[in-house]
Amino acid sequence: MPLRSAPLPRMAGHLSYMRSQTKAISHVGPGDLAVLGIPFEDTSAPYAGQSLAPRALRETSVYFGWHANPQFSHPVDIDARQDIQTDGLHERLCDLGDLSKGTDDANHAALKEAIQQISGNGACAVILGGSDHLAKTVQNALPDCQTAQLGGIARGAQDFYMAPLMNTTPGNAMLSNAQRSDARLSNGKLSNAKLSRDRALSCNSNIAAQLVELSQWRDTSKPLFVRFDLSVFETSLSALCDQPRLDGCDLDTVTQWLSALGQFEVSAIMLTGLNPSRPGMGVVKVGQRLMVTALLSFIYAQLGFGIDHSSKQTSKENASI
Amino acid sequence: MTVVNTTFHSPLIQPGYRLFDGPLCDVADVTAEQVGVVGMPSDWTHSSRLGTRFGPDALRRATTLLQSMRPTGASFDPDTDCLSMPANNWLVDCGDATITANDVDATTQAIAAMTEALTIAGAIPLALGGDHYNSFPACLGYSRGLAKRAPKARFGYIQVDGHLDFSDRLGAWGSHNHATNARRISELPNIDVRNMVWVGIAGWVDGGDLASIEEQGGLVFSANDVHEKGTEEIMRQALEHAMQGCDELYLSIDIDAMDAGYLPGTGSIVHSGITPRQYYDLLDGLAEAPLGGLDIVEVSPPLDPSERTEFLAAEMLFRILRRFRTRPVSETEAGR
Repeated sequence: MPLRSAPLPRMAGHLSYMRSQTKAISHVGPGDLAVLGIPFEDTSAPYAGQSLAPRALRETSVYFGWHANPQFSHPVDIDARQDIQTDGLHERLCDLGDLSKGTDDANHAALKEAIQQISGNGACAVILGGSDHLAKTVQNALPDCQTAQLGGIARGAQDFYMAPLMNTTPGNAMLSNAQRSDARLSNGKLSNAKLSRDRALSCNSNIAAQLVELSQWRDTSKPLFVRFDLSVFETSLSALCDQPRLDGCDLDTVTQWLSALGQFEVSAIMLTGLNPSRPGMGVVKVGQRLMVTALLSFIYAQLGFGIDHSSKQTSKENASI
Repeated sequence: MTVVNTTFHSPLIQPGYRLFDGPLCDVADVTAEQVGVVGMPSDWTHSSRLGTRFGPDALRRATTLLQSMRPTGASFDPDTDCLSMPANNWLVDCGDATITANDVDATTQAIAAMTEALTIAGAIPLALGGDHYNSFPACLGYSRGLAKRAPKARFGYIQVDGHLDFSDRLGAWGSHNHATNARRISELPNIDVRNMVWVGIAGWVDGGDLASIEEQGGLVFSANDVHEKGTEEIMRQALEHAMQGCDELYLSIDIDAMDAGYLPGTGSIVHSGITPRQYYDLLDGLAEAPLGGLDIVEVSPPLDPSERTEFLAAEMLFRILRRFRTRPVSETEAGR
């Protein structure tokens, strides 16, 4: 008698983020996490392929779909030794699909309208990119918002950067004119742009102090927009992004940041920088796996499934030897 | 008039690679204390990324190429002050087990028959995966062979892995697949979960599986434990736990415990996993352990065109087989 009596696995069906339910944007409710893909190319990028990122991220996320599969027990963070109760995950996480491709103006307008609608319903938009050139549109859709950024290129002096800037020097050698202008505007006080460069060498250290700094920076009267770029990671861990970083963070650090940000009420989080068509370091696309794994901590924190790393326990057996 | 060509062609012998460039040998001819290699080129029991069916061949090629860089008596290991030896007597390659597509039972019995025969002969079966399910039939044969060779003997078990593989069932794949191999091994008659240890577990695991292991006395070390406590201490504790009341050790090496940034050519990658140096140090910690059998699994060459995955795995074999493949430097040699 064959040992495997069950049918072969099924991979067909709607490809949604973590196999979540699909919804129309009008049905998004308060407290929901609404996934939205922006499959657009950035024609100014050095390589084509950013439009493939939303699909790549969804495909990778299916790996974590089992977290809400009743066949399995609850997931446990093996490092924290802590159970994660995921009841309700698939009621509050939903996938709206991708924005339709159109002209550049139409893309910006559609994204702005979608973000306004999701935010207006009291939900958090999880935007799957691609290129980061639409980030400004998201900011425009969230008036007077604060932007917290992991990786990517610095845009504004009032933003909070949780990772070193891209290949910048204390002399602002790589900053754009607009960024230099931002820096001048904040002259006379310790600007966040300056702070970010100070953090450039402490990406993996003293996170607790930086989290305190984040709390002080955060103004809860304003919407919060989180930008999560693949370049926050040490490039040797993924090699999939167009803008490599050789002094980036490891997964654990990024996970802690996203978990902390997930404690706030966030209007939108935007994933950028992934180019699945880049050769990377193998057929297994490590970059998208890194992003999806890290994003999971944000999703859990938003939904109240947060992991308390401080209460780390060790195996009973481990401790007894 | 027809001319008959009678030119003699010698038969092709030993086409392809053997592990460590060792000799081919029938399972029935393997003798005690030898390491007998069994290929398990099957990935029918993996649930996602395939390609490990090419693993045994890749390991044979990589170890042969590495061996060629360490010629007889001329390769000095500064870590141990030892010289390498050729694989002409301590290791023999018994070829691949017969894999029957879509018939897990037939494949299981074919692999188990080879490792059982090797164990009865007093040899050490070294099984090359294949996906991690194949670890179960390899250990099944070892367990059967041990029961016949030493009926009262018991064995401990260490699994270096990014995952527990302790599920009872995995969705549509049923009860025998790459997520259930450790559970199936725990059900064998001459092992107890109290003597089972996992090293290198990363990320999120199934809470029920973890609780089941720990409630039964099994021991789990995460990748973070390895980072924090160090490889030497972890493997000391692991070996001590696994060998309590046991006579031999079965070791299962799943290469996916290594961080995917270093090793992408495997089906189920992990992040924040252990580094190559840590992995090698862990295996060094077992080099003198009373190995009864072992396997190395989840090498998937199609997933890593750079080929470095198979060479990382080959180096793992060099490490764990150190006491077989090296000898101390003699006084004469040292005096040169």
